[in-house]
Amino acid sequence: MNNAIKRQLKRSAKRSSLYIVLAGIAFIIIFPIFFLFSFSFMSDYETYSEWPKPLIPSFKANFMIDKNSEGYHLLIFNKSEDKYMPFGPLVFTNSQEDIDNLRKFIKLQSNSKITSQKIMEYLKIVDSKSRVEFSIKKDLLANYILFFQVVNGAPKAVLNSLMVAGATILISLTIGGMGGYAFARYFFKGKNILKLSVLFVRMFPAVSLAIPMVIILAKMGLYDQPLGLSLVYSVGQISMSIWITASVFMAIPVSLEEAAMIFGTTRAGAFLHVTLPLALPGLAASAMYSFIGSWNEVIAAVVLTQFNPTFPVVVYKALVGSQGQINLITAGSVAQALPAIIFTLIIRKYIIQMWGGVKV
Amino acid sequence: MVPYLLIAPVVIYYSIFWLFPVLNAIIESFRNVDGIWTVSNYIHIFKDPVFYQALSNTAFIVIFSVTIEFILAFGLALLINTKFRGSSMFLFLAMIPMSLPAVAVGAMWSSGLATRGWLNSFLMTFGFIDDASKILFLAGGKMSTMLLIIIIDAWTVIPFVMIILLAGLQGIGEDVREAGAIFGGTKFQILRKITIPMLKPTITTAMILRIISAIQIWLIIVLLYGFNRLPVLLEQVVLNYDQLGAEYFERIGLALSVLVAIIVSAAAVLYLKVSGSFEKEVKQDE
Repeated sequence: MNNAIKRQLKRSAKRSSLYIVLAGIAFIIIFPIFFLFSFSFMSDYETYSEWPKPLIPSFKANFMIDKNSEGYHLLIFNKSEDKYMPFGPLVFTNSQEDIDNLRKFIKLQSNSKITSQKIMEYLKIVDSKSRVEFSIKKDLLANYILFFQVVNGAPKAVLNSLMVAGATILISLTIGGMGGYAFARYFFKGKNILKLSVLFVRMFPAVSLAIPMVIILAKMGLYDQPLGLSLVYSVGQISMSIWITASVFMAIPVSLEEAAMIFGTTRAGAFLHVTLPLALPGLAASAMYSFIGSWNEVIAAVVLTQFNPTFPVVVYKALVGSQGQINLITAGSVAQALPAIIFTLIIRKYIIQMWGGVKV
Repeated sequence: MVPYLLIAPVVIYYSIFWLFPVLNAIIESFRNVDGIWTVSNYIHIFKDPVFYQALSNTAFIVIFSVTIEFILAFGLALLINTKFRGSSMFLFLAMIPMSLPAVAVGAMWSSGLATRGWLNSFLMTFGFIDDASKILFLAGGKMSTMLLIIIIDAWTVIPFVMIILLAGLQGIGEDVREAGAIFGGTKFQILRKITIPMLKPTITTAMILRIISAIQIWLIIVLLYGFNRLPVLLEQVVLNYDQLGAEYFERIGLALSVLVAIIVSAAAVLYLKVSGSFEKEVKQDE
């Protein structure tokens, strides 16, 4: 009896220490990602005028307008100082021009939108009561919108990236899928050598391929074109597709195809009507993997583009050249990261399945 | 006949878009701007002290980051493989760093490690430091710079290594280890005599993939420190090819990229040879 309790205690102690370790790891994973997202929602004022910077972006900005003999003053609530601080022009009047400038300044610096009429109303209150405090809801997506407005060519770069990814998926899934089917269903001479070379091609540094491809693509008229870049990406992605589709086809029993053939279909018919529908989710996963690979790639894109960069190149150049403020750049990075994160989470089952099937 | 027809497009594609450019690169790396055959590109590289710095920095980062990442990832994989409640949730979480694009990782850490970044803000908000004792994360010497890069790299890729190992562990099956336990093996003995030997192909895969991509580290270094602060191989390729803006340097970059390809391939073959996987595959083929 006593022993049983002891064992139980020991087990629960083990359990709880496991969960403590896991919580620690989860914290380490989430911690920096949280701040990447957090920064992307911060206004310029929060990013550059509050210290220490807020850990959680605020959802509204608090303002105060007061007045003395020189005119009106705008103040903003600074959380780190815990008091109202001067904000924008030192003094302003109730002229249309001043109020218009003020409205623009508020929008740019604190990501909050206010109309000129509203400012006028507040000024009237100040006239009668000497000061007014008010808060405006922050536009949380302002950095994301601004990133695409101010960073040169960002919207077009997204389009380029999508085109590159689309072409890469098409090429790598057709060619790689055929290869994967052959690997899964047939034994043929040189299969293992081919498997090794597929691995080797995949491992080959992208940059060592991209640089010589510059001249070759230029001769084909595809340099600085989405299609040209996707031809280079497909080299690595075909290998990946072979692995994934091979593991997908292997999981579908041959007996199903054979049964269909007994009922009078051809081998191609059996593949088309039996195997393909069953393999569809796996093929979609393979497509998503190709998408992630080409959507995230930087070095070959830097080498192979000039006026038509892909989205990661635009973010990379903004970051290296410090073209923009860090809150804008984090917004651009999150915009770039989101599709990759979402697709990875969708296909996580297949990623594990694939690595179970890959043996060097 | 059918398998060869299915394989043919792969072989043709690789010949046109892999073999041809690779051969082209090797040939062009032995020619100068005027198209004259020469080894001057390589002489330039081998005379450049920065190349040797890049080589040793890369080697240092590869050796330490791969070792640390493997040990931690293996421990994690063993832990998660116990199938505790919430393990799939945990796996879900572990997949996120692996899917983050390199530029997002760069933005994340450069906004964090700046003197007025989120890490110092966090430490200040919770009273660990005050304004005067802000930590200058990015201003350290060479050793601390490399250490920081190794830590960031570990954060990014440990989940990836862990997932490969986990897939391998799940392939082994519980029964083999149970058999080991029945015959009186301790946990450590089971790990050493059963789990690790059975996991060897997976370990080889994980190590090869990691060594190869660790050699190609560059973006996070450039995003945090800019060019030439901590020279590594691939950063030198991009610097010469893309940044210096003269055809002379483009050729140097091309020759460097050939060297990187040789180093990467040699490392992979060396690892396969040492671990004994290479002979096995070739033998199976005969």
